[in-house]
Order: sequence, then structure tokens, then C-alpha cells
Amino acid sequence: MFQLSILKDTVAVHPSNFGLPPEQAITNELNKKYANRVLHDVGLCVCVFDLSEVGEGKVRYGDGFLWYKVVFRLVVFRPFASEVLLAKVKSSDEDGIRLTLGFFDDIYVSQMFLPEPCALQVNFHVIFGQILDIDPNERAFFWLPNSEITSTHEMLDTPLTDRMYIDTGEVVRVRVEHDEFYDDEPGPPKATEGVQQQRERRRPPYTITCSIAEQGLGPTAWWQNAGVEAMDEG
Amino acid sequence: MEVVNQRAALLSNYEVLTLLRELESDHLARTKTALRLKKEEEQSGTKVHAPQEDVCENLRTIEVEAIQYLSADYQPTASQSEAGIAQLTKSLSAFDLTKSEKLQIVNLAPTEPVELYVIVEELEDRLGDHMDSMLSLVKASLSEPAAPTVNGAPDDAGAGNARLQYPSGNAQVVYEEETTWQDYQVNEEVFDDTGEGAGIEGDLDMDDDGE
Repeated sequence: MFQLSILKDTVAVHPSNFGLPPEQAITNELNKKYANRVLHDVGLCVCVFDLSEVGEGKVRYGDGFLWYKVVFRLVVFRPFASEVLLAKVKSSDEDGIRLTLGFFDDIYVSQMFLPEPCALQVNFHVIFGQILDIDPNERAFFWLPNSEITSTHEMLDTPLTDRMYIDTGEVVRVRVEHDEFYDDEPGPPKATEGVQQQRERRRPPYTITCSIAEQGLGPTAWWQNAGVEAMDEG
Repeated sequence: MEVVNQRAALLSNYEVLTLLRELESDHLARTKTALRLKKEEEQSGTKVHAPQEDVCENLRTIEVEAIQYLSADYQPTASQSEAGIAQLTKSLSAFDLTKSEKLQIVNLAPTEPVELYVIVEELEDRLGDHMDSMLSLVKASLSEPAAPTVNGAPDDAGAGNARLQYPSGNAQVVYEEETTWQDYQVNEEVFDDTGEGAGIEGDLDMDDDGE
């Protein structure tokens, strides 16, 4: 889940921090730059682990900063492919399930990685024969174990007791399938008739796609007290 | 900026949690001294020039959120200890497991066969006979939250104790786990002095083979 990455960088220490021990000041600067940010093709940086090499601090012409060349180790969140994680369900929609780890929530389970057969149940608030709103927290996928049904309509007609729900807030065990990095540049601001246009939503810089279509994966409650026998027949 | 080595080593959840807790306690201590200095300044009326450190918002955010995730009640970190993990990785080397499998066993501490099936590929063909011994090793590495076992005492004795004390069922045991967890937080220094995952890091080191 977490890994150490070795990075090389040049940091500037402001004169107001000269009172601190240099390693402390450098670590602070590095944390300010990297912590909680996604580094392209590396992962989500958590914090500095330690400093491996620090060069002599140099003063350049033009400012009073001390510039250090540093080689350091960074704690990075980057689960490897096929790693098993525990996560909480954040929301469900037509595309699949979104999961959260608290500090990172661009984890998705697309519909093709849900156990078969699976369907999304949407609860409506119907008043005077009209659908008033769809509560996003009331949407949940459910799985029908040992069932041959494939159409969503038929699945929604099945008795409630047969359904295994994946509710919002539930802890699920998932396997990492693949991850993607996007580096979308903001581009120039677009304006039509002098009014600035709302830019379309940018893709998250780092997304992880996970799967629960496997024995033992899915809400942890499903598999508690499940013996090996149950697994074989399932 | 230059990435020298993208994945120099893998870290276990427990190591990351220990590191973050250290940062957190450092931060708390620093804010406390800063507050005290400020008070002293106000009382004496003189301005002592102390180096001011600005708090990094991003670091604080991820620190707090990651600690929350790593110490959540569905994670095994609460009952793990440095010595326990070192012991576990050592004893797991007897089995033919890959490094990533070992890391996941440490991170998830599987206590049921189902969980082990998910982590280890083709478990039955490779290690069909050793499954139970592996699970018991994992159990032994976790400190019993309800009744801490005296060192060397067999694990099932501890479990027996727990059953004697709480014959009524799970609810109380779970509650007990939580209280121990709080105690654990208070006695944080217990595992601080041995240093950063001394024995663990070497075992999980990714040097030659990938995952």
C-alpha cells in the first residue's frame, strides 16, 4: 500500500528559518511541497521519511535563501496491482461504486468488476405519484449469490432476503486492478461574450480501479464465519 | 525535481502508522512549547525571538486522515506490535511466499482461511497443508486485546481466559478491544525506542524481484 520513493530536489530555506537545525528546516520545506499531493507516475505523497544526502547550503545572487541539493526518501501511497485493500463505500451510481480510504477517495469499482449478477437498487421518494428525489445515499448495489438471472428487471423482482447489499459506509475488501495518472493542464480561460465559462470538471490526477468480483472480496461482513466449504460451493 | 527510484522499498501499514504518530506527537509537543513561550512572553513583557515554524496544512491533513484510516477498528494495527511483526515475517520465511504476499499478510493479518485465499494466489496447490499453521502464526503475532498473554504463554490459553471472562459473547470483547486501543495510544512510547521498523523493513525490502 505504501512505498518509499527516492527523490532528488533542490530546496530553498528562507532566512527566517535559519534558527532551526538545517535538517528540520529542509524537511519542513519538502513536506510543504510534497505532502498530500499526487506525483505523476509515483503516487500520492504522504510525508518525508528521511533525508539521505544534503549538499552544502548555497546563497545565490538575488535572494537571501539558502539553497540545498537534497536526496530524500518519501512515503508514498501507491498500492501495487493485485494488492488487497480495505476501504469504505463512499457512493454508488450507474457506473459502479466509489470507495474511500479517508485520505484518498479516487478509488472506483466499475460495474464489470462487481460480482455477477449484480444490480443497482435506487430508492425513490414517491409523493402524490411523482418521483420527488433520489437519495444518493439510498442507492446500493446488491449481489444475488448462486443465481442464474442476468437481466436487471428480473433481479429487481427477487425477494429481498436473497440479496446481498453493498451499502454506503460499509467496509469492503477489494483487489487493485490497475491505476491511472492524468496530468490535465488547465489551459487558457475561455470566455464567450465577456463571461468566463465554467471549465468542465477535471479528471482526478490519480485513480485506482479495484475489483470485488472474486471469492473473499466485497463487504467484510459477507465473509465473516464463512468456512472453506461455503467458498467452494459459492 | 527528479525521481531516483520510484519504488525503493515497500512499507507496511504499521510502519507508516508509527511514523505518522511520531510526527503527530512532535507536532503536538511543538505547539505546546510555542504556546508556553507565548505565555511567558506576555507575562515578562519582553519579546524573546524564537524561530517560528509555520504549520503545513497539507501535511496535517494527510497525517490526521491517514492515522484515522490506519487505526480504524477494521484494521489489525491496534493489536500489532513491532516485535510481533518481526517475529511473524521471520516465521513466514519458512513458507514459499512472495514478498508482496508476506507484506499483505502483515498488513491485513488474516485470521480466517477466506482472507488468506484472497491474499495468496493458488493457496491450495502451493501451501494447502500449511494454511492452518500460517493462520495460527498470524494469530500469535497479534497481541490479545482482551487479555494480554504473558510472554511465552501459549496463545490458546489467552483465548481461554478471554472466554472465561466474557462468556456472554462478542459484544463485550469488541468493547474491550476499543478500551485497550485507547490505552495503547497513551503508552505510545512503548514502541518508539526501538527505531523505525528495525527488523521489518529489511524483510519486506524490494531489492531484486518485483511483486
